[in-house]
Formats: sequence, C-alpha cells, structure tokens
Amino acid sequence: MRQLRLMIFTLLLSSVAFAQTRQLTGSIKDAKSGAPLPAVTVQVKGKNLATVTGADGAFTLKAPSGPLTLQVSLVGYGTKTMDVGPNESNIDLVMDESSTQLGELVVTALGISKESKKVGYAITKVDGSVMTQARETNVAYSLTGRVAGLSVSSTSGGPASSARILLRGMASFGASSPLFVINGVPIDNTQRGSAGEWGGSDNGDGIANINPDDIENMTVLKGASAAALYGSRATNGVILITTKGGKKGTLQVEYNMNYALDKAINFTDYQYEYGQGQLGSKPATQNDALNSSRLSWGSRLDGSQFTQFDGKTYAYSPFKDNISNFYRTGSTFTNTVAVSGGNDLTSFRLSLSNLHNEAIVRNSGVTRKTINLNVDQKVFSKLKVSVMANYIDEHSENRPQLSDGPMNPNNGLFLANNIDENILAPGYDAGNNGREVTFTDDIYVTNPWFVINQYRNNFDRKRLISAITARYDLTNWLYAQGRVGYDMINDRQFQVTPWGTAYQYGVQDDVTVSGSMNLRTQQITEMNADALIGVKRDITQDINIDVALGANLRKTNNEIVAIGGTNFIIPYLYSYNNVKQFNRDNQLYHKESQSAYYSVDLAYKNFLTIGTTGRYDTYSTLPEANRNLFVPSVSASFIFSELVNIPNLTYGKLRASWANASGEPTDYYITQQVYTVDGTINNTIVASFNGDLPNLNLKPFTLRETEVGAELKFFENRLGVDVAYFHRKTTNEILRGDLSWTTGWNRQFIGTGSTQNKGIEMAVTGTPVTTNNFSWNVSVNATNVKNKILDIYGSNSTNTTFTLGTYRPLNANTALVKGMPGPQVMAYDYLRDANGNILVSDDGLPQRGELTPSGSVLPKWFGGINNDFTYKNFNLSFLVDGKFGHKLLSASNYYAVYRGLHKMTLDGREGGVTLSGVKADGSNNSTAVAAQTYYQALAQNVSAINVLDGDFIKLRQVTLGYTIGDKILHSTPFQSIGISLVARNLWTIMKKTDNIDPEAGFSPLINYAGIEGTSLPSARTYGVNVNVKFKR
Amino acid sequence: MTMKMKKAFLYIGMVSALLGSCTKDFNELNTNPTAIPSEQMEPNYMLSRTQYNYANTGYSQLLFQSMWTQVFASTFNYYSNGDKYVGSANLISYQNRIWEEDYQAASIATEIGRLAKDKGLDNLYNASVIMRILIMQHVTDCYGDVPYSEAFKAREGVVSPVYDTQESIYKSMLAELETVTAALDPSKDALTADLFYKGNIAQWKKLGYSLMLRTAMRLTKADAATARTYAEKAAAGGTFAGVADNARVMTDNSANFGNGTSAALLVTDDYRDVKWSKVLIDYMRRNNDPRLTIIGEIPQAGLKANEDASKAGDRDSSRQLGMPNGYDQRGGATDISRAPGYPGGTGPANDFAPLGNYSRPTTALYTNRSGVEFVLTYAETELLLAEAAVRGWNVGGTAAAHYANGLTGALQSMATFNAEIGTFTPTQISSYVNAHPLDQSSTEASLKQINEQYWATTGTLFNFIETWCNWRRSGYPQLTPVVYVGNFSGGTIPRRIPYHSTEGANNPSGYQDAVSRLGGTDNFTSRMWWDK
Repeated sequence: MRQLRLMIFTLLLSSVAFAQTRQLTGSIKDAKSGAPLPAVTVQVKGKNLATVTGADGAFTLKAPSGPLTLQVSLVGYGTKTMDVGPNESNIDLVMDESSTQLGELVVTALGISKESKKVGYAITKVDGSVMTQARETNVAYSLTGRVAGLSVSSTSGGPASSARILLRGMASFGASSPLFVINGVPIDNTQRGSAGEWGGSDNGDGIANINPDDIENMTVLKGASAAALYGSRATNGVILITTKGGKKGTLQVEYNMNYALDKAINFTDYQYEYGQGQLGSKPATQNDALNSSRLSWGSRLDGSQFTQFDGKTYAYSPFKDNISNFYRTGSTFTNTVAVSGGNDLTSFRLSLSNLHNEAIVRNSGVTRKTINLNVDQKVFSKLKVSVMANYIDEHSENRPQLSDGPMNPNNGLFLANNIDENILAPGYDAGNNGREVTFTDDIYVTNPWFVINQYRNNFDRKRLISAITARYDLTNWLYAQGRVGYDMINDRQFQVTPWGTAYQYGVQDDVTVSGSMNLRTQQITEMNADALIGVKRDITQDINIDVALGANLRKTNNEIVAIGGTNFIIPYLYSYNNVKQFNRDNQLYHKESQSAYYSVDLAYKNFLTIGTTGRYDTYSTLPEANRNLFVPSVSASFIFSELVNIPNLTYGKLRASWANASGEPTDYYITQQVYTVDGTINNTIVASFNGDLPNLNLKPFTLRETEVGAELKFFENRLGVDVAYFHRKTTNEILRGDLSWTTGWNRQFIGTGSTQNKGIEMAVTGTPVTTNNFSWNVSVNATNVKNKILDIYGSNSTNTTFTLGTYRPLNANTALVKGMPGPQVMAYDYLRDANGNILVSDDGLPQRGELTPSGSVLPKWFGGINNDFTYKNFNLSFLVDGKFGHKLLSASNYYAVYRGLHKMTLDGREGGVTLSGVKADGSNNSTAVAAQTYYQALAQNVSAINVLDGDFIKLRQVTLGYTIGDKILHSTPFQSIGISLVARNLWTIMKKTDNIDPEAGFSPLINYAGIEGTSLPSARTYGVNVNVKFKR
Repeated sequence: MTMKMKKAFLYIGMVSALLGSCTKDFNELNTNPTAIPSEQMEPNYMLSRTQYNYANTGYSQLLFQSMWTQVFASTFNYYSNGDKYVGSANLISYQNRIWEEDYQAASIATEIGRLAKDKGLDNLYNASVIMRILIMQHVTDCYGDVPYSEAFKAREGVVSPVYDTQESIYKSMLAELETVTAALDPSKDALTADLFYKGNIAQWKKLGYSLMLRTAMRLTKADAATARTYAEKAAAGGTFAGVADNARVMTDNSANFGNGTSAALLVTDDYRDVKWSKVLIDYMRRNNDPRLTIIGEIPQAGLKANEDASKAGDRDSSRQLGMPNGYDQRGGATDISRAPGYPGGTGPANDFAPLGNYSRPTTALYTNRSGVEFVLTYAETELLLAEAAVRGWNVGGTAAAHYANGLTGALQSMATFNAEIGTFTPTQISSYVNAHPLDQSSTEASLKQINEQYWATTGTLFNFIETWCNWRRSGYPQLTPVVYVGNFSGGTIPRRIPYHSTEGANNPSGYQDAVSRLGGTDNFTSRMWWDK
C-alpha cells in the first residue's frame, strides 16, 4: 500500500513542471519516543506536490518559492499543517497520536473511555450546556430534537412530569426509556404513576430528579452493541451521564441563577356564535344551565341576560379568556452554587442547588434541592478512588389529575363558550358544610376551583445516588476496578380527596361523611456491584489490544406500604383516626441478576478496530430452566481516510456492528400461581386467587441489531456527516397479554412477541461562516424509523391485535396489530354499505362501523435543526424541531364536537344536519337531525373523527447570550459573567390539529402514546440565566 | 503469563465463584412474600369471595336491567342506556361489566373446585359447582351463547374457548346440578367460609334444588319437556321452605366489602336522579300492595334536599308517584316537564328540583352500605312452583298455595333490608295474601298474575337481571318500549347484552363463531335460545 501511494505521488510529481522551485528537506519524528517516522506523506497544501519520508523519517521535496503551507499525514497520526516561510528550507516536525484532531474520547458502556474513531457503533454526545440555559423541570426534555434517533415526548402533567424517550423507535412492546447511567452507575428511572383513561397524576420519572447543572455531558449509546454490556435493561438503549468534576490545579467557585416564566398557550379555535344550552335554546332555568354548562348547543349568543347554574344572571355573550385567566403564570427559580478544584492527588466538585417551581395550575408546583459531590482521590500512585454522592430532596405539591373528571383541575377546558370559569370559584360552599359547588350535571367532573383549593396530592422524594469506584493500576497495561453503585429512593405520596367532594358525599349510619385519604410510601433500592479487570497493551507495534473482563451483581428491592381511609367523620380533619373505613397495602418485590461479561477491542494501526463483547446473565425473575442467557456483539470501525486521500475529506470512518441484547420480564413473580387473603366479611375470611396466569416457559427475550454507519468530515471539519442505518428485531418478547375473561385468568405472560425497527438516522454539522469575530454553526439531525409488529401471540394464534390504551371517551384505543407499525390508533369508521356509502340510521344518524387501524402514533420522521451564531461575546442559538407521519387520538376533539365547541358544529345549527348517505332500504337519506343530536351521535359512533394528523414543526428554543470576560472584569472578583435570555416552545410553526397542541398527552407510557385529553395546556417559557465564575 | 496476570485471573475466578453460589436462591427470591402459595391455600376461604363477588353485581344491574324492565326510571343522561336504550359514553364498559364480574367470580368458584378435589373436600367441591352454575346462568342469560365447557382452562392452555350454545349450557347445568346437589352430605367436610348459610349443608341442598327449579323454568318457551322434568326433580328434592332459606349476602362496609348497589345509589347524581318507574308504582297501587308503604319516598322540597341522603322523604303511600321512562331534561319535546301528568318540581327557583315530586327508592330501606344482596329467594321459587303447578306439572302443592307462599315470602323478605321499616306483621301479610288469591280463571290469567308478581318481587329485591330474564321468558308484565332518537335497539327493549368488547381481539375464533350464530350482528336485540 505504501508503495502504491508512493507511486501515485511520484507520477503526480513528474507530471508537473515548475517555473521557480526550491528544495525543502527535513525529518519527521514521533513526538513521544523521538523515533523517526517513515512513510509520512509530505505535501504542499493546495498543490500537487508531495513526497513520503524514508525509513529514517527524512524527506526532500521540491516546492515553489514564497510562503507556503506544508501538510504532513500518517495513518494513525492524522494530519498536521505547518506554515513555511519563503526562506526556510530545513523543516523538522514531530507528530504524535494526539496531534490528530479527531482523537476525541468518548465514554462507552461501563464507563470505559475510548477514542471515538475506534467505536464501531453510533454514539452522540450532548454537552451539558444545552440543558442548563433553557431549562426544563425534567432534564430529559432538553434532549428533544437534539439527537438523531432519539425521540423525546413530554407529558402534559405539570412540572417535572415524565418523559417518553424512545431510541430508534419502539424497540419492544413495552418500550420505555433508555437506561440512564450516571458515572457508571445505572439508576432507577421507573415511572412513578401516570394517568390513564380513568385519571391519575403523573408523578415523574427518575431522570427528572437530576440537576442539569451537575451534568458535564450526556452520551447517547444508540445501538444494541453499544449497550450490550448492560444486559437486560439496555434493549431500549443507554444514556450515559457524566457529572462535572474538579480539575487539577484549579479552585473554582461558580454560581448559576435561572429564572423562567411559564405561560399557558391557548391552542383553541372554538366557535363563539352559539352559546350554552341544548337543542338550539339557551338555558331557561337554573337547572337547564346546570345541565348545559358544558354544552354549547344553545341559541345565538346575543348578549341577552339569563340565569346561570349559580342562580345569578349573566350576559349571553362569548367568553374567550378562560385559559389565560384560570392558569396563572408559572415560574421556576433555580440557584446553584458549585465549588470545584483539585491538586495532584485530589480533585472534587461540590454543588448545591435549589429549584423552586410554581406551576401554571394554582397551588401546584415542585421544589427540589440537590447536593452533588464528586471526589477523585489518588490514594497512592496506582490506586485511585472516586466517590459520587447525589442527594435529591424533591417535594411536589398537588400534582394534577389528568384525563378523567375526578379532581382534574383542567375540567374547565370544555365549558360552554359563554362561561367565565372564575364564576366557579372558590369551588366550595362554606355555608353548606364545605360541599363542592357542582357546575355540571356530572359530579365526577369536579369543579376545577374546588380541586385547586381543596384537593391534595403531594409527592415527596428523597433519593441518594451514590457510587464508590476503586481502580488499581497493576501495571501500565493492566488494571483492576471495583465499583459499587447504590440508588436509594424513598417516595411518599399523600392524597386527600377532600371533605365535601360531590362524588364521595353521602350518609353512613346516619352520619354525613365524605372524602378519603391515602398515604403511600415506597422504598426502592438498586445495588450494582461490578468487578472489572482491564488489559490494554500493544501486542506488536501495529496491533493493540484492549480487554475488559467483569462481573456484575444487581439487586433490586421495592417495598410499598400504604394506609388509607375513606369517609371522614369530622369535616376537614385529615387524620387516619377520623375515618369510617380503613384500608392498607403492603407489597414487597425483590429481584436479582448475576452477570459476567467481556469486551475485547483489537486495533490495527489505529485505523481498523474490531471489537466484541459478550455477556452472560442469570435472572431471578425467570423460571429455573430458562433463566440464563448469553448475548454477544461484534463491531468494527475503519478509518478509510487514513488509507485513501479524498479531496476535502478530512476524516472518513465506516462502522458496522451486530449485536444481541436480552431482556427480562418487567413484572415480578410471574412463574407461579398465588392466592391472597383479602380480609373478612362480617368475620368470615375472604381470599382470592391472582388472575395473572403463571408461565413456566418464559425465556429472556432477545433483541438483535445490525448497524452500519459512516462518519465523514470535510473541509477541515467544517462539515461533518454522520449516517447510520439500523435494523433491529426482537424475539420471544414477554408481554402481559389480556386473556379472554372466560379463560379463568384475565392476563397471561406470553413470550412470543416480535417487533422490527429499521431506519436511518443522520446528523450533519457545519460551520458555514467562521471569522475572528463571527461564527455560525449549524447542526441538523433527522431520523426515519419503520416499525412493524411481526408477531404477538405466536404463529399458531389467530389473534392479531394487542390492545394498549384508550382515551376517556372509550370509543377508540391504541393497539399493536400484527403486520402493521405499532401502536395503531383503532377507531370506528362510519357504518357503510357494500358500495362504501355511509349507512344512515332510520332517525338520520351516523352509525358505528368497523374498528379500523388508522395509523401509528409514532412518527415516521423526526429531527431538528439547531443554529448557533457567535459574534464577539454574543451568542444566539435557536432550535427548530418536528415530527411527521403519525396520528393522535384526541379526547379534546371528541369533547369539542360533542359539546358543540368545534367550529365544524356550526354547520346545521339552523335547520339541522342531513347526513349524506343511504338508509337501510337503499334510499338517500333526507332526514334532518338537530345539530346537537347529530354531532353527539357522530362523536360517539364514529371515533375516526378524533384521529388527527400529528405532524408539527416548532421553534423549540431560542437563547441569546452575552459573556462578560476577563478584560472588563479584571478588577472584580469575577472571572466571567454570562447572561442569557432564553425561550422554550416559542412558536408552533406548523401543525394540523384543531384546538390542541399536537404534542399533548397525559401519559409517558407507550400504551398511551399519542392519546391526549383534559390535561394541562402546553406552556411557553421565557427565562434568564446568569452564570458567574469567581476568581480564585 | 506474568505473575500479575495470574493474579488477575484468580480474582476473576473468585468473583465468579462468589456470584455463582447465590443463584440457587433465585427460586425463593422470585416468590411473592406477601401471597400464599398453592400448597398453603385453604380453598374454603375463597367460597366467601365468589359469593360476595356474584351477589354484589347490583351496580351493573342498575345501569341496564333496572330500567329496561321499567322498575326504575331516570332522566339523567348517564342512565340513558337503561332508561331509553341510548348509548352513553361509557356504554361499552357497562356492557362489559357483568361479563367481567361474573366470569371472575365463576373462575374463583372453579379454582375452589379444583383445590377442593385435590384435598378431598367433597361438600366444598359440590358447593363450588353450585356457585359456578349460579354465576354462569347469569352470564348466559345476559349474553346468550358463551364459553362454558372450555371456560376456565387457561392453565391447561385453552385460551380461545369455544362458545357453547345456550341449549347445551343449560342441559349441562341441569345435569351437573342434579349430581352435585344429591351428593351434598352433612356428614362430610364443613364449609368454613360460607356467607349464605354459615355452612348449613341442608340449606345448600335446598339452594341446589331451587337453582335447578329456576334453571328448568327458564326453558318453558324453548324446551318445555326438559323444563318439566327438572322442575319436578327439583320439587321432589326440596326447594326453599321459607325466607330463612333465602340465599343472600350480608355485606360489610366497615371491612371494605360494602354493598355496591347502595354505594351507587348514594352517589349524589344517582341519588337525585334514580326514581321508581311509573309502571311499577302504578302496579303496586292497583294491587293495593303493602310494599308501597315502604319502598318509595317523596324527597323533601328543593334540589339540595333531593341530593342529601340525610334528609328522609315522605313515605305516605298515597303520595308515591312513579316517573315515566323515556324522558330527559334537555328542554325539548321529551323534557320531563312535558310528560303526561308531570307533577311539577319542588323548591324555589334557586333550589329547584324538577324531579322532586317523584318517588325515589327509600333511603333508609335500600341504601344501607352494609345491607343485604339477595341472590335467590323463597318468594321466587314459590312463584315458579306456582307456575309449574298451573302448567299441570307434578311439583307438589297447589298453584294457589305456592302463589300465596310467594306473596308471603316477598313481603317477609323486605325485612332483611331493614327490619325497622321493612317488617310486615303476620296480619298485614295474611290480609294482603288473602285479598289477592291466584286468579285461576284461565291459565293465561294465572301466568300473567304470577309473573307480574315475580317482576315486582325481584324488582323490589333489586335482582334486576332476574326480573329481566323472567320478563323475556314470560312476556309479563307487558311493557311499552321507550322510543328515543338514536337508540341502540331499534326502539325495542333490549333482549341481550353484546359480548365483552375485547372478545373479538382476545378470542376471535370463538367470538366470530358465536356472532355468526347471531346472524352476524352482536347486538342488543337478538333473542337467545330460551327466549325464542
């Protein structure tokens, strides 16, 4: 190869004639060893003049006169340039491996650092700074639109709600967030309760606890081979978080302040022509008004006076300001102080942070205090010990109920279009024993002001994530490492359904009683112990080997203790001694896995690396015969730019990988039939048996992935392209399938699921302009994922659908459908005749037809564009992102139609609606139906109208920053001050949904993906961030 | 290999050995410490569970059958499914309810039977079969052809059970009942967690034969010969002898096993909006029925009082007024204020109760949260025996005597709801019974009278599914369907409930087969085998 290149260059040289030339001579040596470097290409930049060094590292090159730039390059050493003056003739250069600009290190699985060029799979690193300026109360939301292959969806559940994070699509039936690993320690990211069709509050997930100020960077390991070393939990990918540490020889005090305001966005565009009432009439009595408070089927809003449900008289006129009036301006104030520093033996960083949030829902918000400590200590030259401790104390006040009516503060969203929501305040009647003032004919739709003023749903979390790592370097090529990570979470949820709640108000034994309370504590601990032996050495001059052998022990314990009571005896006294009925609960879960693993990388001359990993797991959750599994992976990376010289290509890498990953069931104790004692009825013992069918044949499920990719950098790194194609397939997926109730059990665990995801992810980074004072960086990422459900119940089964979630109107749902992308929205079409005509009922109404798959809720395409401009000390950046090719199931749309708010319901208000279709006898329909009757039947019978196109493009984030540097601050205690103005969710550039935010959703779970309704409005955030670094 | 490398591998070996030694304990680790494994389970304890679950399906019955049979009426949109056969947003979950509740209760009964057999508990096994049949009759009477012979067999791998024909289910139930009822033996094992009879095997025998009688009588239209055979067997075996034999469950709210029907009726909206139907109150008044003095009350004036369960109403029987079915409160042509004979509301304009002059079920009688749930009563069996006798079958006694026993049992049973209000003196009972002898002017006249009484009795005992079944079978009372725009039954009273909504997905083969037997549509109007 060297000869070939020499020949080519010689040919090139001989074909060129020079007018004026001079002779350059010199030698090139290795920077570290001083050894001469042979075969280095030496070239005059911009000219076809080149030579290579001989065995002694020396070269001779004919060059034009005048100043020029010399470029030298060598496989494994990269490229180096040097300016040569007109009079210089003897040039001596040193090169070292670090001189390559692409020798960037990345952290991979188990915290092993690797040069990025050696990595045979896709990795994306996200700098911590993107999470600190324009903040979210859940740091995961900051990843939205940033990383190819990563889709982040928020929950409309208030501050610090959970995120749905999917890497490379829906990896498996139960796809959830990737595994988060902080400094090598896997942490618990379990979702703590979320809403379903019957309500519930989102109590956040594990990642939301992490203070963004402590994050140095996040590394997204996308593929299965990247994550293979983490075993079962890595099937959804891995996100490694590296926290900030101290730097040697410094002592730094840093203060960061962030203040952000949230303002609810009103996406509605309702009709304001016809107001409250039914069948075309405005309410005639107070009772009529109560029955129609959420029905805008009345007469034309004419400003006349009428009696409202509260008995008072109001003008029958449009009222449009409920969202801006009812939801307050929320705020989040975060203060962080960090001290960091280090000397030769010790480095440390300690940070204290306080977040105080007030949600847009009154009396609701989150406070979070975090303490983070990182210490690295060299005990003696060969032994290094690192300690991490991250303590989180979070308190959330009144987490809002979503989706269903009970205790939902968002129940005002579908009020008739002439009602000022403030007339519902304060929601209770102090003169009537504190009873809730109902505002509708459905007491399960709680007065939103009653919720705000009386309901309690507090969630506290105290959490310590800690790790201790000891690394002993036995020699310069052999080390042993031990690590124990411990994540301990204590949660406490306190809920009070208050005295006076309408749907719990009643009489018992001649005493008026109402309300209930519940206290639930949960302690989760996860312990990970790892032992690792690492070998890193050159076998020959050209071949380097990097081996890690290790073992892992993981133990998870989860205990729930709950006490509850219903029916308070004395009003407003929320004590467990003040209830008529008690209940209690205690659940204990243990699981454990034991694993051994290896990782071997063989590198040839630093341009070809072949890696392999393997992991052997034993899972306690599986039956004895099937609880072991070995999963291997192989990957390769090839820096082809080191071998062929392509004009303008600075760096070119091809990578390929193949990997297996495994997964265990997420449920515990599913291999045996158990029974429970349920208490007594009039002193007779009551027991029952568990409706989950045990399965003794479950095996760990596996995910197999093949990935190929390329990473290219052009024009001195001013343009970079990273492309990956992946193909992944799961087999033996364990799913908790519904059984027909007739079988005696209502759920079964089966191991026959199979999902396929294939796609392309692409990231382009560029620097179109760079001058001394100004630079413009742009990065674009785009992902295309094609999902297909290959199998659900096994090839012998005729069952082809697996029902997931539904919305509160209940007449549509999402489901996995064999052969189709998942999850599909299943909605009822019109009933049609054989010719496709709509079949109209005898009374002129649309009828319910087939339950039809209507498209997947997961986007086919998603991506983002970030622009970053720097002018002197100013910085401006903005992020635009979007998702395309997916559907939503909208309860808001249902309500807007059913309740006469939607603009489409204006058609037929006078004279009724005559549905175009045929009757059973084949005649054309000519029956006109009152608009209310028609649209209510439409919304109930034809849920297909509530399936909306989810495409959107949003201006997600804008930041404008200014840094005051040394020059101005030289006589102050400050080293630098950075001030930035930030905005999030500023502008929805494109959407196709009427009246709602296409990103709205009440649950982060995959079962409820794409389903929305009666949740918090989305908010726009404006803020300021001040960062102050103090001088030593 | 250098010394250090050797050391390294030694360490690895040590760690692996340490880990490997623990995996033995994984079976123990994967055992739920808060649950009971099979070998420690006492199956008797589940008998109370299956009894409670089955008995406590009152809320489901309120939603549909209480109003389909025109025992109750409501203008409230939430009750449109029952009152007017018009789907509300929750219709699908309502149609699923009885399916879920009953199959779950029956699966517990089946599991008791399995464990009882293993442990040689014969009486418990036989009782569990009676429970399973009791429950499964409920299911097939609501839905028609349903999984029976292959039901409850997921453990054996049967996850798509066939839908048996109702005919085969009935014949199988009758045969099984005969076997297990005869096999009950007081000298064998005791039932230690029996909510019906506290383990009295003699009473279980009577329950078995009474259930056999009811099952048999359901077939008078479809297969009179079988009906007769088993009705006679049941009578010979010995049915309930008095209200002390009534199968019922006393609920226990303090232990979180409350009365679901009471709980539902006490919800403010339901409390305000569930009224006795005009059809029932008119019937009671026509017959001078003493129950009219206890079952209904006119709320105190005003909406607040109408919503407040602590404010007792007026039980004066002359004031009681049933509400017609089929009305709403939407201000249109079917607004209750336009109903014939609308009595007007009560209370001032700012506290106006539009339904304030209609009778609601008496709070003190019916809404005890630890109150009774009737399962099968002496009154019902005596009325069925009266019918069998009218038909000339050999069930012992005369039709008139059985009818008189039926009336007596019906009145006596009311005391179980609340002895203070619901107790009739023997004189009250005998004077009513004597004044209302069986009309034997013709067979049809007898059948009409018996089955109208059966309707009123099961209705006032809140066994609405039974009320509905017997109405479908006997045709009495003759009810006028509500015809309301957008109804799901073509303006007729529903004659079945569509199958559970997930059956099409979870058991497609069985479901499709059953629907094809229904003529291709899974609806509210198809008549099941015994109703043809």
